[in-house]
Parts: sequence; C-alpha cells; structure tokens
Amino acid sequence: MIRNLLCMTAPVRDGFDIPCHELGPTFSHLSVALVGGLHGDEINGIFVLSRLADFLTGVEAGKYPELRLVKRVLIIPAVNVLGVNQRSRTWPFDKSDINRMFPGSAGGETTQRIAYAVLEATKRADFRIDIHTAGVDFEELPQVRLYGPSEVERETARWFGLSAVMERSMSPVFTTTLKHSWKVWPGQSFLLRVGQGGTVQLDHCQRVFRSLVSFLGRTGVLEGVQLAAEDEDTCFFDKASGYRVFAKKAGTFVSDRQVGRWVGANQELGYIYDSFNGNVIEKVLSPVAGLLTGIRRHPLLFEGDLILRVNKKG
Amino acid sequence: MSQIATTATATSSVETFFTIDMPYRESMEIRRTRFSGGDGPRAAVVSGIHGDELEGLYVCHRLAAWLEELLRTNPQALLGSVELYPALNTLGLDTLTRGLPVFDTDLNRAFPGSAGGPLPARLADAIMTALAGSCLVVDIHASNIYLREIPQVRINQEFEGLLVPIARRMNLDMIWLHGASTVLETTLAHSLNSHGTPCLVAEMGVGMRITPEYCDQLVAGILSAWQDQGVLASDLELPPATHTPFIADDSNVHYLNAQTSGMFVAAASHWTNVHRGELLGSIVSPFSGSVLSEVRSPVDGILFTLREYPLVYEGSLMARVMARKGGRS
Repeated sequence: MIRNLLCMTAPVRDGFDIPCHELGPTFSHLSVALVGGLHGDEINGIFVLSRLADFLTGVEAGKYPELRLVKRVLIIPAVNVLGVNQRSRTWPFDKSDINRMFPGSAGGETTQRIAYAVLEATKRADFRIDIHTAGVDFEELPQVRLYGPSEVERETARWFGLSAVMERSMSPVFTTTLKHSWKVWPGQSFLLRVGQGGTVQLDHCQRVFRSLVSFLGRTGVLEGVQLAAEDEDTCFFDKASGYRVFAKKAGTFVSDRQVGRWVGANQELGYIYDSFNGNVIEKVLSPVAGLLTGIRRHPLLFEGDLILRVNKKG
Repeated sequence: MSQIATTATATSSVETFFTIDMPYRESMEIRRTRFSGGDGPRAAVVSGIHGDELEGLYVCHRLAAWLEELLRTNPQALLGSVELYPALNTLGLDTLTRGLPVFDTDLNRAFPGSAGGPLPARLADAIMTALAGSCLVVDIHASNIYLREIPQVRINQEFEGLLVPIARRMNLDMIWLHGASTVLETTLAHSLNSHGTPCLVAEMGVGMRITPEYCDQLVAGILSAWQDQGVLASDLELPPATHTPFIADDSNVHYLNAQTSGMFVAAASHWTNVHRGELLGSIVSPFSGSVLSEVRSPVDGILFTLREYPLVYEGSLMARVMARKGGRS
C-alpha cells in the first residue's frame, strides 16, 4: 500500500507529497522502518529502497511462493522529494539540510514539518534504518555506521552481512539528525552508508539490497529467506582503526583503486598531478595495511582534502 | 603584509592570516586589518562567515575609517589593538554563495575545526587561533535573504552572565537569549565562548544587502564596548550610543509560520509596534485574485522580524513578534 506521510502546498505549482510504502500485515506493530533520500543527491539509497519495495510488493502478491512477509515494514525511498527532482542535497527552496531539522515540529518551518512527519512515522519501529551515501566527491564502501550504539545494536549490525561496521561516538553535529532522534525511542537504529552521492553504483546497490533482505530474514520479518551461515566476514572498525590520507598538495587526483580491497602498507593507491603543468607532484600511498573503505572520486583537490581511508583490522 | 598608516605610536596594516592552495594554480587567502596602538587589550570584529551576508563588511569599513582617522588625529587614544576580519568566507563572498563553495559546508557549523584536514576544518582552526585571547570578539551576521531583522545581539543562555552586560552597551535594540542548543556548539561564537574568549553575535538587516543606518548604529555600540574594555581611552569622545535593548527569550518571542504556500505581502512595517489581531500581511495567489491566508499578530508587541522574500512554502517564517516584558532593560 502506498500512503502519503505528508501533503503540502507549494507557492506556484501543485502541492507535493512524501509517499511511503506500507507492506506486511495491516494494523500490526511496525517492525522495520527504512528511510532514504533525506539528502536529495544520495541516489544509491533511493534506488535500493525503491527496489526493495518492489520486491516486497512481489512477495505480498505471491510472486515468490517460498517467501512470506509476516511483519509490517515501512519504506520511504526519498524524504527530500523536491531535492531528488532538482538534484539537490538540501531542500531546494531555502537550502536547509533536512537531516539537521530533527526532531522537527508540526507547526514549524517547512523542513521541520517534514522532519516531524518522518520521525512520527518511524520512531516506534523495532528496527530503524537510515540509508545515506558519502558526498558526491567521495565513495564509501557499503557499511553499517553505529553512533554510540548499545551492545544489542552491535550484535544486530552483523545481520546485515556487510563487510564493515564502523563505530563512532555521538558528536554534537549529529544532535539534530534522524538517527539521533530515533535513539530516545525503544528499538534499534542503524545507518547505512553506501557508495558515492549523485549516482547509482549497481554493485553497491545489489550488495545492500541483498543485505537488507538478509536482515529482514534474520529479524523474522520475512520468512523463507535462505540465509548463508556467514554472508561475509564482517569487520568492526572503531575510529582509531581508520587511517586517513589528506592531500599535502593541491592538484588533480587520479586512482583506479576500488573500495573494499585489502591493501598493503605503502602500496601506491593514486597520484596527484599538477593541474597546470601535468607532472606528478605526489604519490599517494596507503599508510597501513588494511581495508580500503573510502576513496576520493572527484579529481580536483584542495590542499588538505581527504583522499582515502584505510581501516586496519584489529 | 601591506602597511596602511604609521604614526609614532600606532600602526595599521592589512595582512594574510590564512592561505590554502586550490586545485588549479590559485591560492585562497584570507586577510585581516590590524590597528595596533598601546599594550592594552586586543579586540576583534569578524564578518562574512556566510557569503551572502554583507552588513558586517560595511561595519568593518566604517570602523576602519574611524580608526584610520583616530590614528591620524589622536593615536595615543588607541590603548590596545583592533583586528578586523571583514570577509572570513572569501570564496563565498566572491561568488555569492552562503556556504563554503565546493565543500557545500556552512563555515559556521565547522568550529572549532582542526589544524589538518579539509578546508572547512583548517579555516575554522585558523580563525580560532587568530581570535583566541581577544578581550571581545563581535561576530556580525545579516539575516538570510528571506527575512529582515532589527539590530540585535543573540546570546546562548549558557554564557548569559558574562555577555549580557557587554551586550547592553552595544547600542542595539534587542538582546535575544537562546536556550542552550547543542547544534550551536559548532558555531564560532559558541566555540570562542567555550574557550574563554568572549564573543557576541550581532545580527541585523537582510542578506545580500547593506542597511547603512543599522551599521552605523552598531559601529557606535562597538566603539562603546571597546572603550569599556580598555581598548580605547576612557576620555575619548565617541559617537553617541542612543539605543537600549529589549530582552527577548523563548517566553516572549512568537513565530508566525505560513499556513499555506503562496506570495506573502506585508501590511505592517518592520520594526514597529503592533497590536494583538493586527493584520501583518497576507498570503495571496499569483494565479487568482484570492487571498489565501491572513497573518495577524498574536500579541501586543514589536514586529522585529519580517519576511523580505515574498514566496513562501507552508511553514515558511513570515514574521516574529516580541511581546513586551515590562519595557526596555
């Protein structure tokens, strides 16, 4: 079933909605809430969630006889609808970041009203998942992000079967995010970061799609899922395990390396060229042996820009 | 560094305090103007942290003109030193962008920053380092492009005890005390105040414009504050400070958000007294002659915020009214 979380007017065009998919037994307790597209340019998450909605709709229609959706699932592929349609990370009218507007307010600014509607619809779910990408300049290995997690959330994070679980402490910067607002409610919350903004990366999307189906299987929401004993060898990384390389010099960065590969200490991972003269001005080396969990994709570098991150296995 | 003026006892100079290389040959430099007199306290004024806010740039110009005249006529009266940082978000100002271009980041959400790493963090750290130890920093903001504001100081209640007495002397019309909110911990003002450097946030006017009368009002207040701090000689004659602030907080500020989308047309003038039920404006339809919504004041008070940009979405802020709390402070 498709319903609208929020219907609002616009100054000189038709009104707009924030639609969502409600799947599984009607009127039952909400088991899983999945949210994407808080930022309008994070298309991987929007694509994955729209595909998941199609898949679960198919399950309900009997397209997959071995599967049964036994608990209720809410899917919001994109919150920032206008941002998606205008290729804008923020709310296009006033450039505000919807993921800095939580918990929102029913009678506040437009983006506060949107935030309020999203939080109200999702906060009582047993499991809440917010899907993001990195920015348009950087690619992240598909990963589970935990911010100040409970012990139970640490364990549950394995159920996604992704290769990396990154744990961070809560920072004041995140106080007004959806993830933070969820934390005051019973239940478990997760953030997935998937690839790069501004594009669909099919490999990443397929991996995360499988991980969400696996998660729904392990949580008992979707019965009949064939679960592998260990989908992947999940590595837990805290902040101290991450070694970041910043550009010592400005220029043009070029690399053909892929995230998710294990690299050796001092292995060459890319080059910085002088953008005018064309000569190599810096070889970019891996600072440690570990997993390449993030790499810059926009070639033009300011001095000090983040180029890559390697996480050392503990 | 370029020297503007030198006397036997005082100098002024423009100097670069932050440089970073950009991808294609250019460097980004951020400059300040320093007026050095005696060994007294050092005060600073910063502006342009948002690239679409220009009021502070004009205040810096007016202060620079006043200080240059002081160095010519009475240099001994500058007991300490003054630093003006008119354009912290240089790239944003030069390209009419509120945030830091390329990084799509609000610089005023990047503090206290760090010495290494990307531009926003480095720049924030350099600004913190440059301002640390000042006796007073005034961080000047305009409103955004959507709203017009009366000259005011905004203070986090966490620092109320220290800052309100200074703010009362700033010749502004309102002191707005905000409840502690963790999101503001990443602003320049919160970071400076947390690290022991007093910082006042002045806000006035509207984005992308300057309001000369507001700027001159603030200039008089800043000079008074500098005199109180011992930066300027106590017997120096200053422009008169004639404004006394009202005190506002969460209990007496009323927000008027749009009930529907459309075009807001004001019926009341900004910075006037309004009465409960008085028509402040209407939201009209550009497609018909209909009035979609009327906006009326919920209380007797002062219309201190008024929408400047006419188009509104449902929820857009159109006005704020401050109910009186027993007169001026």
